[in-house]
Amino acid sequence: MTTQLPLLPGFMARGIERWAAQRLPKNTDKICLDRRRIYILPTRNGMIFSLVLLVILAGAINYQNSMGYLLTFLTLAIMLLAMIATHQNLNRLCITAVNAQSVFNGQAAKFSLTLSRVTQRDYINISFQCPEQTRVAAHLPATQNNTHIDLPVMTTQRGYCALPRIRVFTEFPLGLFHAWSWIELQGRCLVYPAPAEHPPEFDRRGQQSGKHASELSGEDEFAGIRTYQTGDSPKRMAWKSIARSGTWQTKTFHADSDEEIWLSWQQLSDTLGIEQRLSILCRWILDAHRHGSKYGMDIPGTRIEPGIGQLHQQQCLRALALFGFSR
Amino acid sequence: MNQRLSSISRDPAFWVILPLTLVILPHLPRLPLWMPILMLLLFAVRLGAISEPRLILHKFWLFVIAVLVSIGTIMHYGTIFGKAAGTALLICLLAIKLLESRSTRDYMLLIALSFFIIVTNFLFTQNIPTAVYMLCTVVVLVMSLITLHQGDAALDLRWRLQAAVKLVALSIPLMLVMFVLFPRISGPLWHMPDDAGSGRTGLGETMSPGDIAQLIQSNEVAFRVEFTDNKPSQDQLYWRALVLWYFDGRTWEQGKQNENPRPTLEGHGQPVDYTITLEPHEKNWLFALDMPEQAPPGVHYNNNFLLRSREPINTLYRYSLKSFLNYRIEYQLSRWEKSAGLKIPPDSNPRSVQLGQQWRTQFNHDEAIVNHALQQFNQQDYVYTLQPPPTPGAHPVDAFLFNTRRGFCEHYAGSFTLLMRAAGIPARVVLGYQGGMINPVNQVLSVRQSDAHAWAEVWLPERGWVRVDPTAAIAPQRVERNLDSALAADEIRPLYMQLDNSVLKHLRFYWDAVDNRWKQWVIGYGPKLQQQLMRALFNREIHYSELTFMLMAAVGFVALMIAWLSFKSRAPKETDPVQKLYLQFCDRLAKRGVARNISEGPVDFASRAAQLYPSQQHAIDLITKIYINSRYRSRTSTDQTEKMQSLIRNLNYSPDKS
Repeated sequence: MTTQLPLLPGFMARGIERWAAQRLPKNTDKICLDRRRIYILPTRNGMIFSLVLLVILAGAINYQNSMGYLLTFLTLAIMLLAMIATHQNLNRLCITAVNAQSVFNGQAAKFSLTLSRVTQRDYINISFQCPEQTRVAAHLPATQNNTHIDLPVMTTQRGYCALPRIRVFTEFPLGLFHAWSWIELQGRCLVYPAPAEHPPEFDRRGQQSGKHASELSGEDEFAGIRTYQTGDSPKRMAWKSIARSGTWQTKTFHADSDEEIWLSWQQLSDTLGIEQRLSILCRWILDAHRHGSKYGMDIPGTRIEPGIGQLHQQQCLRALALFGFSR
Repeated sequence: MNQRLSSISRDPAFWVILPLTLVILPHLPRLPLWMPILMLLLFAVRLGAISEPRLILHKFWLFVIAVLVSIGTIMHYGTIFGKAAGTALLICLLAIKLLESRSTRDYMLLIALSFFIIVTNFLFTQNIPTAVYMLCTVVVLVMSLITLHQGDAALDLRWRLQAAVKLVALSIPLMLVMFVLFPRISGPLWHMPDDAGSGRTGLGETMSPGDIAQLIQSNEVAFRVEFTDNKPSQDQLYWRALVLWYFDGRTWEQGKQNENPRPTLEGHGQPVDYTITLEPHEKNWLFALDMPEQAPPGVHYNNNFLLRSREPINTLYRYSLKSFLNYRIEYQLSRWEKSAGLKIPPDSNPRSVQLGQQWRTQFNHDEAIVNHALQQFNQQDYVYTLQPPPTPGAHPVDAFLFNTRRGFCEHYAGSFTLLMRAAGIPARVVLGYQGGMINPVNQVLSVRQSDAHAWAEVWLPERGWVRVDPTAAIAPQRVERNLDSALAADEIRPLYMQLDNSVLKHLRFYWDAVDNRWKQWVIGYGPKLQQQLMRALFNREIHYSELTFMLMAAVGFVALMIAWLSFKSRAPKETDPVQKLYLQFCDRLAKRGVARNISEGPVDFASRAAQLYPSQQHAIDLITKIYINSRYRSRTSTDQTEKMQSLIRNLNYSPDKS
């Protein structure tokens, strides 16, 4: 299914969207759809049904066939009520957006939407779609108070990715009408640079001290124990401590306490573009973190003192993601 | 196996096959036998293809099947157009289309066309069971649409059924409004296929031995009669439709008509006033009690005292008449009538002709001959029976009169007329119905196919054409009561007569009364009735444009009402007493200008409210504290709830001047 509206030429659909966009409330993290911003049109199948009805009506008139009239009007009434029902399948549905977890560029940001209600109706087969993204269908039956969906948005550049305008639409129950609405919700996702696939060798020159990140190994000096974080190598599990405390723990090491790695902008050749350098730095950070080494980062405008751990990594990646953007 | 079945029943294809089957079912008895078998096969293959994709046929083979089916249709019907052939072909093509359908788009097309198949059935039958069946089929079709558009919601069967029933039930009032108000126009928009009304049972235009006995097997209503005053006695209910002049030795026919003016009718006594509701029979004759005073408007009254409409009757037709039960037709016999009324086919039935001629010499009075003939029928061993032995050969009347002596009304009427002609008395056969049954529920007389009858008319000097019913001479009960009482006890009766015990009979009367209403108000609802209804409602003529306007307004109104009633959004019921009280508190403050913003927490809200009502700060804080405790700490005790309630009740909202 495309974002194209049914039965409307592209320029008209775009026109409607522009007009509707002006009426959208901005800067909100929750929207309840109401009749002022739900639009409805017959689908192609709805038009086929109407055509068949027209033929039946002509037959009924010609043959003065009362049951023919009855069937025509019954079907017409059903279509009319189906239109109302389709509209009601969106009406007063509330959507709340939550910021998505950070992702690397090129991955899909998963914005979490919460659907809730101000009515006791069933909401069935409601689709959510961002432009050029895959459609996600959701159901909120009357027995549930809310439901969550993850709306994927492919990221194409680092920095903050705002939740795009979402088209919410449904053709339930009969598929004869297409009701839709656009919503703009506050929600953003921090997009880190994509880690470089083949980073250049880590260059020791120009380092006050240090080793190649990848050379860091478990033979370094034991530094202490911290709680396990996803991504920690199983080789570094503090098994004894785990057995004692019952929680997952990881041993950390530093190379010499003064052996810190500095990942810096200058190490990278000027021939590389900004984005490429950021990608490489991103890869280095991930590697250094995986190996548990103590690393600092120095890029123009930001200098982060050496450290270890998840938070430290996030701080570094964040700096990379927002490099060059004024906050 | 069970699992397989349930997986099939979840497949969208199943939800197309099911309604399609229901839609086609009523057509099956009318189709040539190979078609249902073919369709069964196609449906089975498609059902099988749900779990066995190899069964999906290539488009080429479907094309071949479609061509073969078309050829088969032409071979059976001689055409692919017309009502019967067109419907049959359409159904087959739909079944073939089903075989290659696998997208929602295909399924939707099939479902849309299903509605068309439903309506073609109404060209053949429009009774109440058909209407009920239509409703059920539409419910299943709606269920199919829901199933096709539920996405991955996997709604259970019950939910879908309820939703479909609700939708259809709510549509019915709208349907009725449109049915009543949609402007009706009379007359066809285009010419109907010639076979538009074929396949109806009813009187034919000719009469051969065995024809009427055949017709008696049907219990269908031919027409219904409402008498303004009292019903005439049963033996006077002769409903004439056809006069047969020509006889070829076996079959009686109308033959060529003459253009003579209609003889004058002299009526005696009060005419009987009645209204007939005629079922469509696709012929142009109307039935009338002997003898109608004059024809209803737009109907021709011919010189045989028969009523003829211009167009075949293919919709329910209602007309009012006055008839004289005692009448005399001007006794001048025209030359044409004399020659046609005495004509005897040469070289056929010699013994009968001879008998008639013998009576001529035996009696010198025409009336005496008539009476003698009737006496013969009555006194000799003639038997009135539904199962007369066949009388093949060149001389069927001879065979009946002298050998078998067992016959039904057409045997007696035919042979009597021939005998009279042989005796030199002008005579003709009249075809129609005799009798009918009064329904005690609504006092309407229904005349059924089983009341079909044939009698004779003879021309007597000084009296003109006089009705003579030879059947009355053999089986007077037939005329005085009904067929059932006239038949011998051991006679095999049609099924409907055997079932006629008292309970069933009673039910049938009720059913018949309902059916009559249905026929008159629903099936017979046309321009005439619509105007009549509008006149009753508004006391004046209503123009089409006004009707259209009323239609729009009423549909809009009813649709809005339904939308409002059924979709009126109910906020979820709040069950927590503290939450309820707090909302009430917010409500009261909102009414006094302090509305809580969506994003505002209870504490912020309380401080804002307290600024506006400093004197109430304590109460507001306390309320907020109880509320917050109940939300984030523990269950609130009843004491606390009561306290909150009294605080809210006693809040003083008068704005502080300080």
